[in-house]
Amino acid sequence: MRSFRGFAIGLLAAAAALAAVPVFAADGQTLLITGEDYTKWLWGNQHTDGSVYNFTTVPGEGYGDNGQGTEIDLYLFSKPARNVEVQGRLQSRFNQNQWTNYGGFGGRNPALENPPGGDCIGGDCGEFDPRSNEYIKMRGLTARYTPGFKFLDAVTIGSTDLGMFDAFTIGKIRYIDRDNAKAVLAQGSLFGRKLGYDLIRVSLPRLFAGPNFSTGNYTGQDSDYGLQLKFAPTPLFDSVLVWERARDLEVDTFDRNFDNGRDVADRFKNDVYGLRFGIHPGAKVDFRGTYYHSEAQSDPRFGAPASFFGISGFSPVPAGKLDDPAWKANVDLNDPFGVGLSFNLEYFNIGAQYVSILAARREDDVLLTEGHDSTWVFPGPDNSAFGVFPGNPTRIGYGGWQGNAQQVATISVDNEFTDFEEPMAETVIGWKGFTVDPTWSIGDLSLTAEYSKIDYNTNWQAWGDPTRAILDSIYPNHESDAGIGSFRNAYAPFQDKSTDIYLIKGKYLLNVAKGVDVFGKIKYIDETDKRMNNARFLPYKPGDCPGGGAACHNNVNTYFNGFSTADLYGNPPVITVNGVTGYQWKPFDSLSDDDEDMNYKMFQLGGGYQFTGNFYSSLTYEHYDVDLKDGNTAFQAYQLHNMASGKHSKNKAMLYARYTFGGAEFGMNYEYNWGTFDPDFGGGFVTQFADADTAHNFGVPVGSPGFRGRFGGWNSLLNRDFKQNRMKVFMKIRF
Amino acid sequence: MSKRICNKGIMMAAAGLLLAGAALAQSGVSFKDPAGDDNGPGNYTYPTDGVYKRGSFDMTGFDVKVSGKKVDLGVTFAAALEDPWRMGGGFSVQMVFIFIDNKPGGFKEGPPGTNVTFADGNEWDKMVILSPQPPGRVKTEVEQKMPAAQQSAVVIPNRTKGSGHTISATVDLDELGGGDPSQWGYQVIVQSNEGFPEGKDLLTRKVNEYEGQHRFGGGTDTDCDPHVMDILAGKGAGSADEVQAQHDMLKYECNPDGTAKQPAVLKMVKK
Repeated sequence: MRSFRGFAIGLLAAAAALAAVPVFAADGQTLLITGEDYTKWLWGNQHTDGSVYNFTTVPGEGYGDNGQGTEIDLYLFSKPARNVEVQGRLQSRFNQNQWTNYGGFGGRNPALENPPGGDCIGGDCGEFDPRSNEYIKMRGLTARYTPGFKFLDAVTIGSTDLGMFDAFTIGKIRYIDRDNAKAVLAQGSLFGRKLGYDLIRVSLPRLFAGPNFSTGNYTGQDSDYGLQLKFAPTPLFDSVLVWERARDLEVDTFDRNFDNGRDVADRFKNDVYGLRFGIHPGAKVDFRGTYYHSEAQSDPRFGAPASFFGISGFSPVPAGKLDDPAWKANVDLNDPFGVGLSFNLEYFNIGAQYVSILAARREDDVLLTEGHDSTWVFPGPDNSAFGVFPGNPTRIGYGGWQGNAQQVATISVDNEFTDFEEPMAETVIGWKGFTVDPTWSIGDLSLTAEYSKIDYNTNWQAWGDPTRAILDSIYPNHESDAGIGSFRNAYAPFQDKSTDIYLIKGKYLLNVAKGVDVFGKIKYIDETDKRMNNARFLPYKPGDCPGGGAACHNNVNTYFNGFSTADLYGNPPVITVNGVTGYQWKPFDSLSDDDEDMNYKMFQLGGGYQFTGNFYSSLTYEHYDVDLKDGNTAFQAYQLHNMASGKHSKNKAMLYARYTFGGAEFGMNYEYNWGTFDPDFGGGFVTQFADADTAHNFGVPVGSPGFRGRFGGWNSLLNRDFKQNRMKVFMKIRF
Repeated sequence: MSKRICNKGIMMAAAGLLLAGAALAQSGVSFKDPAGDDNGPGNYTYPTDGVYKRGSFDMTGFDVKVSGKKVDLGVTFAAALEDPWRMGGGFSVQMVFIFIDNKPGGFKEGPPGTNVTFADGNEWDKMVILSPQPPGRVKTEVEQKMPAAQQSAVVIPNRTKGSGHTISATVDLDELGGGDPSQWGYQVIVQSNEGFPEGKDLLTRKVNEYEGQHRFGGGTDTDCDPHVMDILAGKGAGSADEVQAQHDMLKYECNPDGTAKQPAVLKMVKK
């Protein structure tokens, strides 16, 4: 038995101590019930109605840009004794509860379907699926004890969003709701309150908190323990020691002696040690430092993957034995010259193998940099999931999300069940570099600038381990690093990447009428990635494809022990189209075939006005101009994605309005996206033309030019025009 | 020659305008508050959630500037402002009450949820609320939770914004009753924006005996303690002795049943 006992015993002891605390029912104990009616209307010209959320990648859940839905959220709170309080919520969810479901009656019953009728989408299962029958769940039920001991301030038992820890270890969590995590938390202090502590045991979410987004078959004992020791001896200095220990246990199938019970073994284990500190010499200067070291290990004997399919693995954690640090240092100079000019400086270094399985997945921002913009979501120009194959329609759509991304220190990034106006998170695993961020406030004008230089700990060849086959990586690749953006990809087989971010943004209160908010931003990103940079890794011997209509010889070039990137970048067949004979795609015979060079410009201008105390509205225009070289047809965006090499021009017009009426709040966000993509996939291949099937499957005209890649996917060579309208209106009434 | 005279004239006129502008900008009054006194009566602690960053409730300055018929109010904090709850105004966790004493008499009771009173001769006549909530929401809360007599003395700016370290708003001088703001008495209460306040509280965050994820600690679980993290004190010069002056003003005593035996009593600060 190798489960962790020490802290469990400690927590049990604390719970036992609580039992001894005399509690007295408070006079006039009341049960407070408040609530919220949250109603949402979605409209968009993609005309999908799989659920009342714009985006999810979770199979079978459904997503949509059209529909209406209503949630009720009842907050319950009571204080049965002076040192005991209980709170909880009863809440329904949007899910597939469209108004058109008429209360969730009828519908097809998937349990009786033979053959199975597939996923319930858009509420078509009515009362037979909890996502469409307006069910109400218990949420956020928490008991809090404040026993009055010197060494123990409070014990919290039940639901929590884990917001009291930190984003690098046990981060604030949300999966649709904010408090699905269940935990026992003890908080208090020692040595005359000089040393504070938070000690927690969280039950590991079986939904995602383990290799392959799973915690295996035996889950009841899976846990994450966390400890924070907070030491602040003087106002000039404070520090926090952090420790985290996650264990995903399985029944040990090698223990065949059942007479003495069963042994358990680690399917996945994860330990993180950290230190945060601050030095505060005065109001003008502030120093903060953060260091974490993580160790993680997956055991394939108990169901964890040993490796991932090289260019499309999905997991919140790499495979195998991992260890790496993550650290950053911040200096804040607050108006050192007395003219309203302040500086924030940050150095950051997030290890490629840094893992905390419960690190914040969204709605946190671990770095100072603005990072990438949320409108570029997936590799393809139209934000398709896997756009070179039919049957993978666009989800969030061409417009992506609004604003810039938030940065999180995990590849388990979660943007599920969001709408287009919500913040998007991107991973920073592997990032290292610095940010300089001056801010200048003078009167009604405030200006902020940024320069960030980002290098990568994931700059490597052959996944950083040339002793393995190229498709045998420990790293999950998610949607890959192709295209302009990819929010949860941290790893690529070949990377030699550098990113520079420059921006300046400002706000000005124009003294007209009641004051007009004027705001704007200019942003520039210069990014290069040479990807494969050593001829040793070229897939075939030099001159393997002689051209002139001659077939390639397929003389594989091996980089180690018979391994070759020919497994990834196979040679093209010779084809003849309209009398032209040549290769179906360009042979991968040059180190420049996969090079990325991105020249990214963004411009924003907007204005807002508070018409009355109850009504505010703003109008924003954004223009994106991206000149991207992202490999050619030899690279093919790893075969799975729409190629994005070429010129992109995207525009966003956003109208926002907010109206309060008594206890009700109404909001409206309308967005019109339009733009063009002018592909440039290079030469060296024979252009094909779409037949009727291709035209049908990929939405291109019959006879339009393109090329068919290694896996049969189609990349169109047509200039493309995009238009996406969408709107979200909501009403919230607190009662 | 005449060109040189003309140039000099233009330069002098420009200098005059600049001086006049500077003089206009200087009209008003400024106060400083010591750093590190964001602990109410001396022992209050921040909530444990990560959004409440060190110094978020530590007021370091309060400025009143008069520009014609407008009054600019700015409250500066030790920590840079952030908007983690996407309120839209550049800040989320703070809320500020600015009390003005510009005529005899006034109100002794602080707004609901703060649990403070004002000393005799220090009653407030106007109260400006700097909240990240939409003005309409604040107005509704005021109408629902403040005594009718006080409601007309509450000023809710049309726009409140946070930028850098400063929360600021502009209000009409007439709304504050006219006169010379540099001669008025002021008190500033730093509280926290609570979107889901308890029954009678005016968008304020509770102080409990022990800090919670979204509750301040160091007080009591009842309402006899002031729910206030930082205030102006002494002469508003930012001197070290103003820390003790703040703690003295925010001293309180509770009855066994949790009601206030001696509530915190605030005084106005005046230049």
